[in-house]
Amino acid sequence: MVTSASVSSPERSGVDGRGIRRLGGREEWFWYLAAAVSYIVLAIWHKFLLNWFVGPLWLVAVVVIGPALWDRMVASRTRRGRSAGAGRPRQPG
Amino acid sequence: MSWAAHQFEVYAVQAHLPKKMRGKVSFFGIFLGDFTPDFLSKFWVYGITINGKHYGAEVPHQWHRGWPGMGVTHTLFMGIVLTGAFWLWKRNRAFAIGYLLGFAAHALTDVNDSVGTILLFPFSTLNWTVQTWAYAATIEGGKYLDAAAYYSSLGLVMDLFWLVVVLVSWRCLTRDYWRTQVVVADPRVWAWFGKWLPERGLLALYRATFFYGVCRMISWSVWARLFAYPQGIPGVAGRGYPMDLSWTGPWWIVARSLPHVNPWIVMPVTLTLLGLLYVAVAKLWDPMGRAEQARRDAARPAEPAQPAAG
Repeated sequence: MVTSASVSSPERSGVDGRGIRRLGGREEWFWYLAAAVSYIVLAIWHKFLLNWFVGPLWLVAVVVIGPALWDRMVASRTRRGRSAGAGRPRQPG
Repeated sequence: MSWAAHQFEVYAVQAHLPKKMRGKVSFFGIFLGDFTPDFLSKFWVYGITINGKHYGAEVPHQWHRGWPGMGVTHTLFMGIVLTGAFWLWKRNRAFAIGYLLGFAAHALTDVNDSVGTILLFPFSTLNWTVQTWAYAATIEGGKYLDAAAYYSSLGLVMDLFWLVVVLVSWRCLTRDYWRTQVVVADPRVWAWFGKWLPERGLLALYRATFFYGVCRMISWSVWARLFAYPQGIPGVAGRGYPMDLSWTGPWWIVARSLPHVNPWIVMPVTLTLLGLLYVAVAKLWDPMGRAEQARRDAARPAEPAQPAAG
């Protein structure tokens, strides 16, 4: 019997069709809340932000760019940590 | 006028489509239909001031909702005309029906302020209003005073009502719903946006109107309550416009009005029209689907005849 290789369902997979990470549960809430709080607070003092164009764009920008920047920051920190660890002399066991 | 209610009602319409239309009506159609009435009329309501000279409507409420004026943009008649024109042009049932429902939702919601809409245009040019809160767009007060009045009156309750309607149908905001009910009705548009955005961006785009509604409601309310300095209101000093949840409130602004029908008949008639619209749309759904298919078949090039075997 021939079976196909296991393929993760697009709904369940952690990445989308372009290979970009999906946001799950708490992390999704975090970015939406961050977008809402920042937008509301800024808009109270800068009313020009409260319009049909900026509002939706604000959310999309935060949800797309925020996690990407975060991933990049974490990756560079991990790389730095590894290279620092590699340069250190090994402790005697 | 209504503020965030117009953002929330887009999702309320999406979540309460007749059963046979679920997953088949364009979300962008609903959104654009709901957006059109104010897009066509509101820019001139507040107007703009350049070098101290104001350019805009002389009587904002007459321009926005009256006849003569742009009040026709807030009528079922206009919604039907624009939908019909789009249907004749593109034969796209998903968009046409969505557009009509969105447009109607906007026109019917706006009967709640003190000006209302010329709902039965062209049969009557009288406004239909329930007078729930004061219409407050003026040249002197502009958008700020309008927002302060709306979010100090039953207008805020209206926004909260629509917010609750959406939250009760919270599944319409989930990723699964978006994938199975929204994207499938508008595959080309979502595919086009998908060229530029990852999936999490597309989902945010779908939720963005809801997000904007929640944020503008909170932002304007907080500003009106805590930060604004009311001017010229007797007995009010310091920060914050007075809240007034009385009918046609707030008391501190003159509720604009136009010649109108008896407010007591407005809500029953509005709800009847909404019901009739849903029945009409449900009746038209299948014939429109057949017409769309026929046009698609006619546009498809004829397949070449297969050579006979042997």
